[in-house]
Amino acid sequence: MLLLLLVLIPMCMAPVCWLISRRSKHGRDLCAILTGFAELGLAIFAAFRGGQITLDGLCGLGLHLTMDGFRAVYCVVLAFMWAMTLLFSPDYFAHHHRRSRYYFFQLLTLGATMGVFLASDLFTAFVFFEIMSFASFPWVIQEETDGAIRAAKTYLAVSVIGGLAALMGLFLLGRYLGTLELSAIYPAAQKTGRLPVFYTAGGCILFGFGAKAGMFPIHIWLPKAHPVAPAPASALLSGALTKSGVWGILAISCNLFRGDPVWGACILALGCVTMLLGAVLALFSIDLKRTLACSSMSQIGFILVGVGMMGLLGEENAPAARGTVLHMVNHSSFKLVLFLCAGAVFRNLHRLDLNEIRGFGRKKPLLTAAFLLGALGIGGIPLLNGYVSKTLLHESIVEGIPVYGGILKAVEWVFLFSGGLTLAYMTKLFVAVFVEKHPTRQAEFNAMRRYLSKPAAIALGLSALVIPVLGLSANQTMNAIANCSADFFHAGHLHHPVHYLSAENLKGAAISVAIGAAVYLGVVRTWMIRNGRYVNRWPKKLDLEDLVYRPVLLKLLPGLFGWIAALFGENRLTGRFAAGTLNGAGRIAKLFGENRITKPLAKGACTAGSVGSHALSDSLDGAVLLLSRTVFRQSPEPVEDKVAETLSYRLGAGADRAAALLGKEKQGGRRYARLFYRLRQSFRSAWRQISGNLSFALLMLVLAICAVFVYILL
Amino acid sequence: MLAAILLPLAGGAALLLLRRAPTRTVRNLALLLTCLTSIIVWGLILSGRGSIRLMRFTALLDVEFRLDGLGRFFAGILAALWPLTVLYAHSYMEHEPRQTAFFSFFTMSYGASLGIAMAANLFTLYFNYEMLTLATMPLVLHAMTRQAVRATRTYLLFSLGGAAFAFAAMIFLVTNGAGASFVPGGLLKAHPYAPEITRIFFVLGFFGFGVKAAVFPLHIWLPKATVAPTPVTALLHAVAVVKAGAFALMRLTWFSFSPDLLRGTWAQWVPLGFASFTIVFGAVIALKQGHWKRRLAYSTVANLSYILFGVLLMTPAGLSAGLIHMAAHACIKILAFFCAGAVLRRTGLEYNVQLDGLGRKMPLTFAAFTLSALALTGIPPLNGFVSKWHLLSAAAEAGGTMAWIGIGALLISALLTAFYMLGVAVRAWFPGRDRDLSPIAGAKEADWRMSLPHVILSLGVLATGLYAQPVVRAAEAIANSLP
Repeated sequence: MLLLLLVLIPMCMAPVCWLISRRSKHGRDLCAILTGFAELGLAIFAAFRGGQITLDGLCGLGLHLTMDGFRAVYCVVLAFMWAMTLLFSPDYFAHHHRRSRYYFFQLLTLGATMGVFLASDLFTAFVFFEIMSFASFPWVIQEETDGAIRAAKTYLAVSVIGGLAALMGLFLLGRYLGTLELSAIYPAAQKTGRLPVFYTAGGCILFGFGAKAGMFPIHIWLPKAHPVAPAPASALLSGALTKSGVWGILAISCNLFRGDPVWGACILALGCVTMLLGAVLALFSIDLKRTLACSSMSQIGFILVGVGMMGLLGEENAPAARGTVLHMVNHSSFKLVLFLCAGAVFRNLHRLDLNEIRGFGRKKPLLTAAFLLGALGIGGIPLLNGYVSKTLLHESIVEGIPVYGGILKAVEWVFLFSGGLTLAYMTKLFVAVFVEKHPTRQAEFNAMRRYLSKPAAIALGLSALVIPVLGLSANQTMNAIANCSADFFHAGHLHHPVHYLSAENLKGAAISVAIGAAVYLGVVRTWMIRNGRYVNRWPKKLDLEDLVYRPVLLKLLPGLFGWIAALFGENRLTGRFAAGTLNGAGRIAKLFGENRITKPLAKGACTAGSVGSHALSDSLDGAVLLLSRTVFRQSPEPVEDKVAETLSYRLGAGADRAAALLGKEKQGGRRYARLFYRLRQSFRSAWRQISGNLSFALLMLVLAICAVFVYILL
Repeated sequence: MLAAILLPLAGGAALLLLRRAPTRTVRNLALLLTCLTSIIVWGLILSGRGSIRLMRFTALLDVEFRLDGLGRFFAGILAALWPLTVLYAHSYMEHEPRQTAFFSFFTMSYGASLGIAMAANLFTLYFNYEMLTLATMPLVLHAMTRQAVRATRTYLLFSLGGAAFAFAAMIFLVTNGAGASFVPGGLLKAHPYAPEITRIFFVLGFFGFGVKAAVFPLHIWLPKATVAPTPVTALLHAVAVVKAGAFALMRLTWFSFSPDLLRGTWAQWVPLGFASFTIVFGAVIALKQGHWKRRLAYSTVANLSYILFGVLLMTPAGLSAGLIHMAAHACIKILAFFCAGAVLRRTGLEYNVQLDGLGRKMPLTFAAFTLSALALTGIPPLNGFVSKWHLLSAAAEAGGTMAWIGIGALLISALLTAFYMLGVAVRAWFPGRDRDLSPIAGAKEADWRMSLPHVILSLGVLATGLYAQPVVRAAEAIANSLP
């Protein structure tokens, strides 16, 4: 019951808040914040109480929620993140429109996200996952700028495609396994043996949940959607929603593919690409929130490396599992702080471009401290929590090297290099916003003393406090988190406790710091700054979405089916027999040669044919046609501008250009573009006639069959 | 039972006589007639079976009505949706000309549809089927514009042409099966005939009834018929007429030709192939449509083939999945059309690109439309999800290449559905910051006679999604009762 409340309270409070907002805006803010904190209290209470609940028959297959160690940790994390962002929101949205909409969907998403993490079977998780995807869509489009609308549409498309892929996967799994209950999947899979279809199903589920997590190659929405969403929403998108994707990946990796090296290797490869690509994209970006968004992608890559190593290491997966869960929690805490900082900047300046916000953070101790903690934490600096999780992940890779050899050595270097890049881009942000001075507006920035309201400052401070507290008490708090999550991960026993601050482990951090410093000084300071301004060196054309996904989905598929539709004469399938015959005769006459006598004859036949048939079938149509063929007759010269998109025009223009190159340029009516255009026109009209005749023939056939049967009956 | 069929038929015909009565009276009378009929139908459904023989033409041909499980399911859908639609039309048609004729034919088509649902043999079904075609023809013609005339002509050509094919199948059954009465499990099981010829006639029958069920390439009349007033497009061309086609195919497959004679042969996979193709085709073309109602009509084309796909799997699970989708789609699509109609009536806008920002002017209407869009895509916890899940399971259970191709088609189509339905909703709610909203400045929310059906149907979509057991159980009971 308690678990159901965790899901239902925010979902029910969403409409309540919306109703309150019609009376009082202040009351709505208060109501939303109170809901957030009530949820936090309830989550902590439920975390200690545990329990499970089954609702049979709901949504088709029944919903099943449960609470265990890992879920307890994440429910508290989620509730904390929501409470903080809700506390931060009234200040951030002080001058925005449509805030009620935002609060409505924020609370709705909270309920759904809770549902995903509490789910005890994959079906329940999927149901809440879909609700979450659609409820978070209005976050992205909240600002309604052109960029936001485009990003939101991408987000929607990825959500839908991902959701369908996941559905397909679940469906296959349910079919061949007979159960979707997490605890029953592994025994069932043992019984059936490892069928090839499991990899198909796993791939589909990985695609679906990976899309939300921001995994390569379906990360495309992430760097676009996070920057355009309002900052509190970006914090949640990045810190909480991506984790629900990771949850799904974990759910199959830890159960269906427990200890499966093949699966582990696949995830590891994807994780490495995501990790490196995200870091590189973040380094190139000159937009504060885009950098943070790409950084999220990169950190998800780190987490996926942990998931992959769990598969590769089999029984010895304890460090990998502990590193994975801790990095999930840590990343949530970093992104909460960093995006709230970005929110503080945006709230005051309404800009995110590094060149324009440069120097804003100077002489603002709270903002500086919070951002610095986040930046150092995510960079894996010792004594902060990020160091602990990265150390564990690193150790898991090192442990695998004796077994798998050189390939993991390469993975280790990619890991360290990405860690270095993390430091480099965070340094870039920190230096730009907090160290350098704005060329013109610095005095104005310095005067902004009251850049945050009290509640927002409290939210920022509390979120930032988590990082050192966890980091300094790593042996108590973080170990406890890792211990109680072990069940969910089916982690093996940790043979020897990890000494986080041992020389061996510090060496890894030192290498990353060295790489980071080298990249920052060698690349960022020299290549990415021109005339004192940050420039984006990423080639604009290199965008997976514009290059591949959009053309395929929006041009290729509809074009193909549109062609089929045209083939069957979508608009003109009525019998026009006479027109067809006469017109056909005219065309045949044309084929025999176009000279002074046959040309008018053929044309006349065509016109008479169409006019006659139309007059027969519909006198009004006929009259219009007659007019169009006589009085309103268009000039026979093809109008090329109108057909600029068609293939024939392009081919023709290409041929013309080629002819020009060869020095045989043709003029006027003899140009290839016109020639091809005319060919296409005649082909099209012929085809129209043919399809018209076909439909007529079909009708005749039907009548004939009728006649036959009447005859038989009589 | 006869009352249920004759009341709307006779009542509708009687309405024609009231040419001089004020239109308000006509509308109220039509509403009353429909509600009465629905009450009778629901009474029949709940009270149990019944059977009545109206007249005999020959020893083999008689007009007979009987209410069995399948018929009850279809009649239940019709009886639930018809009063809502007439209430909607009460407001929608308020300022239209020729209302008397409209309501009269609208009521008469109710009788014909019920006749199809309750028919006890193929001959009765065919008879009512033709009556439905003729009763709906004037409704398509209603606007009397050139476009409407053309649409009507296409509609008639296709319907009558298709009926000829169906007629062929019927005659085959009558001559070989000693009458064409519906026997659970298939009439031809007891009267086997040369198998190849049986299959040929089944495929003929499939395409014959497939005209109404809008199977590619026989779907062309459906998008054209969107020129009819919205209540007609919503109820007849998304539910009654087109579902009558699907229903007739269920009868043809399971009660006339036996699935045992067809399963695994070309007579199964040719229709399955057409259905699978239509599923994708309808969705793609819907995406290309700029006209809102035409887009919905193409979506209907795709969704009808979902039902056919379920039926043509020729397994009990497939049949029940088809039935579940029939109920779900009826609810969803009528809701979507109602929303389009409400906008058309209030603002006169009918193209997608004109809808920018209209969500805030007509919040209830667009909330309902968004819900229907999500449901049609198959998002849990709405009813479209339940029906798609059952269709997928049934297909996987049936197995075979064609079933897997169909599964692929279903998923692609679901994806496209999300694009073409949600695209409109997104536009209406999030017009973008610098959009000029002056063209819709005067738009007002629909009145209660339109909004009430919106609310009831939305709740229906949500409730049957959250708790689908009653519908699922009813459908499964029907499918499992067949031998």
